[in-house]
Amino acid sequence: MAADKQPTTAEKPEQPQTAQKSAAALEEDDEFEDFPVEDWPASETEAAAQQQAAAGAASAATEGEGKGDNHLWEKSWDDDDTSDDFSAQLREELKKVEAAKRR
Amino acid sequence: MDALIKEFRAAYAAERGNDLAKTLTPDLTESPDRLLAIWNSGGPQSIKDDLKFLFFRDKSAQLRMSREEGEGWQEIYFTYWKALGEILAVEGRRKDGAKSSWTKVYEAWKEFTSQIIRGYTNHDFENWTIPCLYVAGRYMRLYAIRADAERSANGGADDAVTNFQDDFDPETEKHKSLEDCARQLNRIFNTCLSDRAPLAESRKWGIYYAINLLFKTYFKLNSASLSKNVLKVLSAGRGDMPDFDSFPKSQRVTFKYYEGVLAFLEENYVEAEKHLTLAWQMCHRDATRNLELILTYLIPCHLLTTHTLPSAKLLEPFPRLQKLFLKLAVAIKEGDLRAFDQALTDGEDEFVKRRIYLTLERGRDIALRNLLRKVFLAGGFAEAKEGEAPVRRTRVPVAEFSAAMKLSGGEELDADEVECLLANMIYKNLMKGYIAHERGIVVLSKNGAFPGTGV
Repeated sequence: MAADKQPTTAEKPEQPQTAQKSAAALEEDDEFEDFPVEDWPASETEAAAQQQAAAGAASAATEGEGKGDNHLWEKSWDDDDTSDDFSAQLREELKKVEAAKRR
Repeated sequence: MDALIKEFRAAYAAERGNDLAKTLTPDLTESPDRLLAIWNSGGPQSIKDDLKFLFFRDKSAQLRMSREEGEGWQEIYFTYWKALGEILAVEGRRKDGAKSSWTKVYEAWKEFTSQIIRGYTNHDFENWTIPCLYVAGRYMRLYAIRADAERSANGGADDAVTNFQDDFDPETEKHKSLEDCARQLNRIFNTCLSDRAPLAESRKWGIYYAINLLFKTYFKLNSASLSKNVLKVLSAGRGDMPDFDSFPKSQRVTFKYYEGVLAFLEENYVEAEKHLTLAWQMCHRDATRNLELILTYLIPCHLLTTHTLPSAKLLEPFPRLQKLFLKLAVAIKEGDLRAFDQALTDGEDEFVKRRIYLTLERGRDIALRNLLRKVFLAGGFAEAKEGEAPVRRTRVPVAEFSAAMKLSGGEELDADEVECLLANMIYKNLMKGYIAHERGIVVLSKNGAFPGTGV
């Protein structure tokens, strides 16, 4: 009852707070901001935005990657690239270790 | 005053809570002239008489409202009018040139808030009017913050004289108004919580708005533990609460954000990730700053719970987050200990301020794990038995790990230290195998030496 009597588009005046924020420098900075509207449809959520982006990417690219928000997090962080400088250096070092052991 | 009460009547007759709350907004930026006109409509006595007339004697437009309730509203509009006087004065808008201070504004607004609360406890206000409580609480907090800032800007001169006592504590003094405000907000919270009316008519619909105000206040006061208490009270009463999903998204997202951060601060990362993910998904897509704040905690969560790093795409819209996390993420991915340490040192101030330093520090384990895996990969394959697929070499000398750590971290560790680190990795299940101490080798598991990977 109560909830649906509140119009969803009610604008909440925000100016004083934001103005205050810039003035009060960093400390205020950390605070979760009030939303300009009280409620919004599912289509305006971040989840929906991500889905759209994913769908867009999938249709643009020939091979669709992950769905949903998978592309936002690198699933595996295994760096299989063994051709970089560090890996080459590492192999050199390991050879030295090997050699030292044989001696 | 007549015009204001006319608006009140319209909102009241239509039972529109937000419209009603609008008649009580003290926001000067929206309609300064309107507020000035209200203030100028009379002196205290004539305003009182006006209100009495408008609420009780004006036969042209009577509302169906008990005498009790009418008195409640009358008081509210009177204290509102008084608070407006202070607000206009502090902003230098009064025609009589009167001056005021934010402390006075705060006190006046607090009185107004008390009248509103009293409306619910003593005058049977109905629950659709709760947006009035929101307006009261919201601005009370802002005024408290300004009052505190004003006092510290004045060097606390006006208070220092009167408060020269032994128990003088500069820290509480600094947030005197805000702490008082927290107590008032708590009253609002309890006003909502304690309502025993059936859900449809209950003030419990105001609970999350009140809690969010409390969270913001407690965080500012640096007392997260008090927020925990609120959560405890809430979960105790959850049985007869309206369904969380039926609250507006703005309230749900804010609540989930704070619930997540609280879990995060307690190092309960699984819980934290749950709440923050919900907040993130439900958040308005254009609320960039809020999305950024959610991710500030969600990214470290992911690091520890699912061992996933943010992709460049995720960070793309948030330059601030890129600055915070990008270098660290790359270092972790590449197993570059020196770069990791450097990135952690570089961001230290910011990380500490956001209270994510200790969590991120634990990311070093993951960087180390990736480094050790590189050693494993560099080790190549053991000689395969006939007819079988080649198997990676699983017996790796500690000395090789040691050399890798030296190469990556930049400093030489002695064998015991290295073994200790390796033992830790095994314990944390980031590497599978055992250390054969006497022989100085690590025997890695043949299947999945580094869990979560294909190797």
